[in-house]
Amino acid sequence: MPKKLGVYICTGCTIGEAIDTAQLAKVATRECKAPTCRMHPFLCGPEGCDLIRKDVADGTVNTVVVAACSARAKTDAFTFDPGIVLERVNLREHVAWSQAAREEDTQMLAEDYLRMGVVKAQKSEPSEPLTEEVSRVLLVVGGGAAGITAALEAAAAGYEVVLVEKEPQLGGFAATLRKRFPIEAPYDAPAADGLALKAQEATYHSKIRVLTSARIVKIEGQPGMFDVAVEREGVASTVRVGAIVLATGWKPYDATRLAHLGYGLANVITNVELERMAARGPIVRPSDGRVPDRVLFLQCAGSRDPAHLSYCSAVCCMATLKHATYIHEQNGRAKVYIVYKDMRTPGLNERFYRAAQDHPLNFLTKGELASIAELPSKDLLVTLRDTMVGGEVSLEADLVVLATGMVPNSADGEAIRALKEAEAKAVRGETESQRAEAARRQDELRSHKGTEILHLAYRQGPDLPVLRHGFPESHFICFPYETRRTGIYAAGAVRSPMDTEHAERDALGAALKAIQAVELAAHGQAVHPRAGDLSFPSFLLQRCTQCKRCTEECPFGSLDEDEKGTPKPNPHRCRRCGICMGACPERIISFKNYSVDMVASMIKAIEVPEEDEEKPRIVVFMCENDAYPALDVAGFRRLRYHPSVRVIPLRCLGSLNIVWIADALSRGVDGVMLIGCKEGDDYECHFIRGSQLAKRRVENVKETLQRLRLEPERLHTAELSINEWDKLPAMIDEFAGRVCAMGANPYKGM
Amino acid sequence: MATALKIEPDVTFIEHVMKSGGGELKKCYQCATCSTVCSLSMDDAPFPRGQILKAQWGMKEQVLSDPAIWLCHNCGDCNVNCPRGARPGDIIGALRQAAIEQFAVPRFMGALAGSLRGLAVLLLLPVLLFLAVALWAPKPAAPGRLEFAAVFPIGVLEPLFFAVCGLAALAFASSMARFVRALRVSGATGPILPGLIPALREIAAHSRFSKCGRGGSRRLGHLLVFWGFLGLALVGTAVGVATMGGWLSTPLALTNPLKVFANVCAAVILAGCITLLVWRATDPDAANTYFDWLFLLTLTGVALTGSGSELLRLAGAAGAMYAVYFVHLVLVFALLLYAPYSKFAHLVSRTVAMAATARKS
Repeated sequence: MPKKLGVYICTGCTIGEAIDTAQLAKVATRECKAPTCRMHPFLCGPEGCDLIRKDVADGTVNTVVVAACSARAKTDAFTFDPGIVLERVNLREHVAWSQAAREEDTQMLAEDYLRMGVVKAQKSEPSEPLTEEVSRVLLVVGGGAAGITAALEAAAAGYEVVLVEKEPQLGGFAATLRKRFPIEAPYDAPAADGLALKAQEATYHSKIRVLTSARIVKIEGQPGMFDVAVEREGVASTVRVGAIVLATGWKPYDATRLAHLGYGLANVITNVELERMAARGPIVRPSDGRVPDRVLFLQCAGSRDPAHLSYCSAVCCMATLKHATYIHEQNGRAKVYIVYKDMRTPGLNERFYRAAQDHPLNFLTKGELASIAELPSKDLLVTLRDTMVGGEVSLEADLVVLATGMVPNSADGEAIRALKEAEAKAVRGETESQRAEAARRQDELRSHKGTEILHLAYRQGPDLPVLRHGFPESHFICFPYETRRTGIYAAGAVRSPMDTEHAERDALGAALKAIQAVELAAHGQAVHPRAGDLSFPSFLLQRCTQCKRCTEECPFGSLDEDEKGTPKPNPHRCRRCGICMGACPERIISFKNYSVDMVASMIKAIEVPEEDEEKPRIVVFMCENDAYPALDVAGFRRLRYHPSVRVIPLRCLGSLNIVWIADALSRGVDGVMLIGCKEGDDYECHFIRGSQLAKRRVENVKETLQRLRLEPERLHTAELSINEWDKLPAMIDEFAGRVCAMGANPYKGM
Repeated sequence: MATALKIEPDVTFIEHVMKSGGGELKKCYQCATCSTVCSLSMDDAPFPRGQILKAQWGMKEQVLSDPAIWLCHNCGDCNVNCPRGARPGDIIGALRQAAIEQFAVPRFMGALAGSLRGLAVLLLLPVLLFLAVALWAPKPAAPGRLEFAAVFPIGVLEPLFFAVCGLAALAFASSMARFVRALRVSGATGPILPGLIPALREIAAHSRFSKCGRGGSRRLGHLLVFWGFLGLALVGTAVGVATMGGWLSTPLALTNPLKVFANVCAAVILAGCITLLVWRATDPDAANTYFDWLFLLTLTGVALTGSGSELLRLAGAAGAMYAVYFVHLVLVFALLLYAPYSKFAHLVSRTVAMAATARKS
C-alpha cells in the first residue's frame, strides 16, 4: 500500500510560542515531502481531531504524524483505525516545555524530532493481529484454598476450569486447620474453617472438572493453546487450555535445620506439628503425653534469618496467636510465652493481636533466643536476651513451639535441574572423582526428586523462573500474579507468604489475569505491560545463524528451538519487548512498527552540525516504560536540560541493538546515553532483564570504540526509577558537559 | 555475663492487681507514652512503663519493692494519654495496694484490709469494744452537764487510744523494715535518713503534687487534709497527755486556744475531704478503687462525726450526740489501728520511698 503521509502540527500548549511552527511545516512539506501538512492551535480538540479524521476518511492520508504532545498524553483523541500508521512527535514535553522559547537550538531540536518521527512513520506498516483458534478453558494447578477459589471465581465468570490436585482430596493445607484466622467482626477470635464447603462446591460445579490424585506430565504450547498432559492413577490424558493458574501453595520450612533453636529435643515442636495435633485432639507434650501448663512460642524460627529464610513468612505471628487460644481452651491455667522479633499482624488482624495481649496468661516479649536446654524432667529451660523485661531472662516451659515459616512449592526449579545434572553425571561422568562428586550431590538434592510441577516443554526449562527467595513472581509491585511465563499466573502462598484469606483474594486476581491472557490471545494482542499491542516479532529465518542468543535471552522463554537451534516463535507467549531484536547479531528480527532499520533511520535523520558550529549532538536511548515518562514529568515541571539531546524511546532498553551505537557515532554524534530501569535483585525493568542485557552489550561495544580511537566515555548507561524525574535533567546535563569537554566526535562529517 | 533472671509469672498476683483497680493491666503494649507524659518520672529511672511490664509478667517481688510505684502521685496524666486505654495510673495504684498488703505486719491484716469482707471483721472489733465501754466501763460521777465522758469515760479512752497508736506505730515500724529490706534487694540503695530531710520538705509543700499535670483541686484537698490531720494529731496528743496528767479537763471551753485550733483543724480536714470527694466523683480520669474510697470515706466520716458530735453536744441533743460519738470512736479507732494496712500507709511508704530515691530526683 503506497504511503500517504500527513503531518499535523499542534500549536497549542505553548508549542506555537516556543517553536517557529511555520518553519517546522516547511521541514515537513519540503524536506520530508509530506503531501499533507496541517496546523491547528488545539489539535486534540474535536475540531483538530476532525481535521485528521477527515483526511483519513477520504483516503488522502494513511500515515499520520501528530507533532504535538507526548505519546503518553491524549491517547483517546489520537486513536485511529488499526490500519492507519500513527506516529507521535513529542513537541510539547520534550521541546516547548523543557527548552528556551524561540532559540535556534530549540528549533533544531523540534525539526530533528519531526524528521525522526516522519522517517519512522514512513518505515512502519500497520500491524495485523495474529488471531488463531484459542481454548478458553483455564487450568488451575493445586486444589487448596487458592486453587479452589480461582476455579470457582473463573467458573463464576463463565469460564470452564480444569482443577488438578495431587492429593486424593481437595483442600490443601487450609483444610487441615482446626480453626482459621479471624474473618468476621470484631476479628478477635479464630473462626471455623469453611473450606470444605467450597471444596464441595467446586467438586459439583458444572464448569469445573476436578482431577484429584493427578499430576501434570507435560505442558507445551502457548497462551490460548497450552496442551496439558495429565496422569491420573496411571491413566494419561491431554487437555487443551488457554491459561494457567499456579496455586501450588507452600511447605513448612525444614525444621531439622533448626537444631540451634532446640528442634530435636523431645518437647520442641513446630507450629505445623502443633496445628496437626490440635486438629486431632488435645495438644500434649510428645515426651509424656501430658497437657502442658507452660508453652513457649519462638517466633521467626528460621524466618527473617539470612542463614535460613531471609524473608518474613507473614503468617507465623497470627498462627501463634491462634495457637495460644487453643492452649487456653484446653487448660485455663496454662501460661503462654510468646517471644518475637516484631509481631506482624497487619490490618484488622491487629484486633486479634490486642485480644491476645489482653489475656492475663499470655506473656509477650521481644527477644532473641540465647540458649535452650532440656531439664531432667524433659521441661525446657529457655534463656532469652534483649527482652523487654531487660537483660537476660530465663523461663521454664513444658513445651516449646517453633513458629516456622513458609517455603513456596515452586522453589525447587534450580535444585531439580542440579539434581538431574548430577544424576546424568553420576552415570556418564568422565572421571571417577567426577562421578563420586555427582553421587554426593545427588544425595544432597534427593529431597527434590519428583517435585517438578508444571513440566513445561520450554527451551528454557521445565519450571517457572523464580526470584531471590524462590517465589515465581516476575514483577512484584507493578504486576502481581505475573510470572515469567506468559499465560501462567501464580496465586496464594506460592507467590508470596500469605494466609488463607489473602490466598483466596489472590486467587481471584490471578484468575482474572488468566482470563485476560486468554481473551487477549484470542484477539492477537499482547498482555501487559504492552497490553493490546498487535505487533509481534517476525524472523527472517533464511539468514539465521542459529546463534541462539534470542532463545536464551528472551526473559519469558517465549522462543523454542528446533534441533539445529533455529528459533521457533510462540507469538502468544511474546510480550513484544523486542529483547530478541536487540540480541540478534544478524538483525533478522523485527516488528512492523519497530525494527533495527527504523531506529537506525531515525538516527540518520538527525542533522549533525559541523564541528565548527560547536553544537554537539547526543542520542539518548530511553526506556519508554519508566525513563521516558519521567522525562515527560520533567517537562510538566518545566525543568530545563541540554538542547543537544535527541531522545529515542525504546520498548525496553534490552531491545537496543548495538548497531545503533555504531550508526550514531559514525554519523558524528558526540555521545550516546542509555537510560533504563533499575537492575539487580530489586529490578524495576518491566521485562525483567532489559537493563542488564543492554549494559552487557554496551560493555562489548566499548572495546570496539577503543579500537576506533574513540573515548569509551562517549557511551554512558544510567538507571532511573520512574519517580526520579527531578534527577533526570541533571543526569543529562552532566553527561552533555562531559561530552563537550571531550571535544567533537572526530568522525563528524566523514 | 550476668546470670539470667529467672521469671516464673505469679498468676495470682496478676489477677489480684487486675481485680483491685488494674483491670486493664494486660492492655499495655509498652509504648512508654505514660513515662513520657509523667512529669514526676525521672530521666535515669523512668516510670511507670517498666513497673507495668513487671506487673504484666507477674514479677511480684520485683515490682512491689520498686520505690517508683510510690513516687507516682496519681494525677492521671498517663490514664488520659495512654493510646491503648491501659490506665497506667490505676495499675500503679493497685500495685501500691498490693505493696501495702505484701509488707504488712502481721500479713493477714493486709489481706483483711484489702477486701470488703475483711472490712466487716475489722469494724466489728471497735464496735464491740466501744459498746462494751459504753455499757460496762465504770462511769465518773455525773458532772451536771452534757459530756461524752458520761458514757465513754476518758480514763478508759485515753489509754486505749495511746495503745492503739502504739500498736499502729509498731506495725508501721516492722512493715517498713520489710519494705526497706525489699528496697535494698531491688537496688534502691539511697540512704534513707539523710534523704528524709528533702523528702519531708517536699511533702510539707506538696511540691510533687504541683508538678503533676492534672487535678489541680486534688493538691489543695490533699494539702488541707494533710495539715489539718497533722494539727489534730498534735493537739489531740497534747490534750490527751494533759488530761491524763490532770492538768486539763475536757470538754474545753469553746474559747480555749487549743479548742479553737482543734476546731479550725477539723474544718480544714473537712474542707480537704470535700475537695477530694468532689474531684474523685467528677474527674472521669481519676483512679477510683475500693482502696481509695475506703480511706477517703473513713477520713471524711471521722471529720464529720467529730464535728457533728461536738455540735450536737452544744445543741444539747443527748441521744444523737452519744450515737454519733460512738461512730466517731469506731472510725477513729479503725483509722489509726488499721493505718498500716489501709491506704493511710502511703503516709509512711511514700515518705520512705521518696527518701530512698531523694538523690535521683
